Amino acid sequence: MQRRTFLDALLSAAAATALSPLLAEARPEARQPARAIRYLRPPGARPEEEFLAHCIHCGQCGEVCPNRCIQYFGFENGPRSLDTPYIVPREQACILCMKCGEVCPTDAIQPVARELAPILKQVRMGRARVDERLCLSYQGKTCGVCYRACPLQDVAIRVGRLEQPQVLKDCVGCGLCERSCIQIPQAIRIIPDYG
Amino acid sequence: MGTHKPFFLWRHLNKLRWLSLSIVFAMLVALPFIHVYQTYAAAHAYDLLAPSEKQLYDVMETLTAAFADDPAEDLDAIKGNTWSGSFFGLQLSDPLAVAGQMAAGLKAYAPFLLTALIPVLFTLVLGRFFCGWICPATFLYELNTNVSTWLARLGFKVGNRRFDRRLKYAVLGVGLALSAATGSVLMAAIYPPAIVGRELYYAIALGGFGAGAVFFVGTLLFDTLVARRGFCRYLCPGGALYALLGRYRLVRIRRIVESCNDCARCNAVCEFGLDPLRDHFGQECNNCAACIAVCPTQAMTFVLRPTDYPEQGPGHLGKQYRRNHPESAAKGGH
Repeated sequence: MQRRTFLDALLSAAAATALSPLLAEARPEARQPARAIRYLRPPGARPEEEFLAHCIHCGQCGEVCPNRCIQYFGFENGPRSLDTPYIVPREQACILCMKCGEVCPTDAIQPVARELAPILKQVRMGRARVDERLCLSYQGKTCGVCYRACPLQDVAIRVGRLEQPQVLKDCVGCGLCERSCIQIPQAIRIIPDYG
Repeated sequence: MGTHKPFFLWRHLNKLRWLSLSIVFAMLVALPFIHVYQTYAAAHAYDLLAPSEKQLYDVMETLTAAFADDPAEDLDAIKGNTWSGSFFGLQLSDPLAVAGQMAAGLKAYAPFLLTALIPVLFTLVLGRFFCGWICPATFLYELNTNVSTWLARLGFKVGNRRFDRRLKYAVLGVGLALSAATGSVLMAAIYPPAIVGRELYYAIALGGFGAGAVFFVGTLLFDTLVARRGFCRYLCPGGALYALLGRYRLVRIRRIVESCNDCARCNAVCEFGLDPLRDHFGQECNNCAACIAVCPTQAMTFVLRPTDYPEQGPGHLGKQYRRNHPESAAKGGH
């Protein structure tokens, strides 16, 4: 009988330990989780919470991505994000081909036509930010690589004197500028927009 | 008396089933390679590929040239896996994916719901056929059963414990509840066919297995060391859902009691540990047809009816029946 009580206690303790990370993250609409890592969701993805509730972790978005920029989480972003798609623009950035939204069966990534207006309206991966202390152009060494890499030149980014980049409000956060920046560390980064 | 023989093809269905399992698994291996090839093609940079990548490109080009003019676009026709995939514009999903997503989102999303319609209709008629005929994890689990049998012959101890089959319905319930509580489709992390499809893609296209592979190896060890086909029999949430949907399936296996000699090979071969010898199939049977294939007297066949035959007693060619019915033995000679 005593052993049984002990086993019961042991089992419930084990279950509590195993489930606590899940329960801690339960229904977090109320609270903005502190994110340890910076990542982007694929273009057209719903706001983070809605995205997680829709994504069934099937992996088709990655399988259709011609640029192989979509990676999948292990446990590093918490158990709820396990096997969900993300993009690290410095490693491989999104080329806004919009195929992932087309193939997504649950509309976790919503379909967006590959045209300027719908992309500007519906894609909110994040927004680029220039670190002027790191940017070569702001140090007097004319560069302009980020501007040339941008698929939405003069809509999302423009350059001024000495090719100094200025990010405009229409930037969707594809990350091609961050990918192409020749500075180490990169002088332009996408600040993700998780909605 | 007219002891009717089963249609001769039924005995060979088990081979067809292995063909089906092999094709599905082969597709899951092929699709990531096709994807990698597509990315190379899309990049238009053959000259910049490493020698091994060039090799892959050439092989895939040879294999797919007949089907695709523009590999980067045309080969998108088949994508995904058995958890959810698109097949020439037709999107199909596992009913468990839909159930899990509904639980996580706490509402039904109609276009996605529809992708499970065809699988559900098939399951209503054929029962757990997915488990026996399509599931890529079944392919590995059945091979694992064979390995366990060899190991047992070599003198290793393999597990053959039995648990309560209803455990898997609890797993299904808890899984859906946790999905609802966390707002994320956690079911995908513990459902072997979803894991196998995903991990094959990770391993081939992304350069390494993920966390799911560890879980899957755990289930293989469970099957070998604790209970034969234990995960499918006792724990699989998808199997539970398919079993519930297939409870009143129309296509069933039935024992022809007049031809049965009580040899019990059907019980020995049944991967799900059912009792075909005593007509107990229930909602668990996946119509895999292994018992039909193994029956030496052709006493197993398919029937169309929504419930199992009630227990028919010992087979008429068996010792027990002859002892109780001496007249049949005197008459027979067969």
